Amino acid sequence: MKPLHYLTLVLLILALIIALVPENTTRPYKLTADQLLAEIRTGTQFVSPDEVADKIIQKDPSIQLIDVRNPREFDMYSLPGAINIPLQDILSENNYDVLNQGTKMNIFYSNGATEANEAWLLTRQLGYQNNYVLQGGLNYWMETILNPSQPGSIAANDEIARYDFRKAASMALGGGAVSAIVPASDQGASKPKPGVVPVKKKKKASGGC
Amino acid sequence: MGPLAVNDIISSNTNFFLAFVIGIGFGFVLEQCGFSSSRKLAGLFYGYDMVVLKVFFTGGVTAMLGLLFFSLFGWVDLNLVYVNPTFLASAIIGGLVMGAGFIMGGFCPGTSFCGAAIGKLDAMIFIVGLFIGVYFFAFGYPIFETLYKSGDMGSLKISTIFGLGDGIFALILVVVALGMFYVSEWVEKKFPREEY
Repeated sequence: MKPLHYLTLVLLILALIIALVPENTTRPYKLTADQLLAEIRTGTQFVSPDEVADKIIQKDPSIQLIDVRNPREFDMYSLPGAINIPLQDILSENNYDVLNQGTKMNIFYSNGATEANEAWLLTRQLGYQNNYVLQGGLNYWMETILNPSQPGSIAANDEIARYDFRKAASMALGGGAVSAIVPASDQGASKPKPGVVPVKKKKKASGGC
Repeated sequence: MGPLAVNDIISSNTNFFLAFVIGIGFGFVLEQCGFSSSRKLAGLFYGYDMVVLKVFFTGGVTAMLGLLFFSLFGWVDLNLVYVNPTFLASAIIGGLVMGAGFIMGGFCPGTSFCGAAIGKLDAMIFIVGLFIGVYFFAFGYPIFETLYKSGDMGSLKISTIFGLGDGIFALILVVVALGMFYVSEWVEKKFPREEY
């Protein structure tokens, strides 16, 4: 057999193997720095408090709230249905199944958005899908959902609709000063009954923030 | 996991040292293949000696399969391997210029240094010409700039353009390379030359 025939045989066998095996995707970091930067710049990981409130009230089974603060803070206050994965345990093997899965929408939250965003960044770089961040964290949540401020009388319709939704959400989620904010003249006209969630209004408002 | 330098497994100094060792190996292999003879290289164009084509295609195919297998075993991350950006128009024109120089001079840049290293005069003259070309381009850069940057397609792979998997494209390229090997055997028989 001539050398060329040996070469033909060896190269063809190797090329056939490489053509038939699936591509190896077991890289430690699935996204390059450039890809990650592009995602950060678009900010697609953020979910607005209104959207989250709506899902909580509807008891949407597809979301999983993940509190990345420390256990002490988690015990003091947490969102309904949230589980606690402190940021330092985010890479722990016990949490792998929760963070890297294809069915639920994980929403990280912390007091501000920084820690939650850090958690998202770490998991995203590992290539995990379906992880999101509560926009503005719990502080913004308090401000917008639990104590919404009433828009002025000349506010746009969708702003008023959003306010109505937030007021209702606040009641459903145990917020504070709602009844005090609502003026007597407004009662009956726009105040939704607790537990009746104006889902359609929410849909219109979702673009607002 | 590779690439070693990108992942900081080796320092950039070690990287340069490895490049130095590999460069010496490359030059040695070129010399041993007879590439330091301009007649051998010119033979590619006249059909009496196709060894240049065979060596470079074997090298390319070997490196391609090697990288794909390394990636398969998790030894190298292909996403981090530098892919030269494609400038289509300038690549075509530059290829023609280089090809013309290749036929006239009988060397490519690598083999000319190889020839000069073993004391070939024509190779040394070729290097002088090479430097004249480099200076001509560098000082005339404002004239060539538009052409130099035209047809920018980014860091593309042919497999991406055709939407094929890397493995499938590798198989196709190997088949094409082997086909060319057999064709060049036939060409060598058809245009034989006794002494060169």
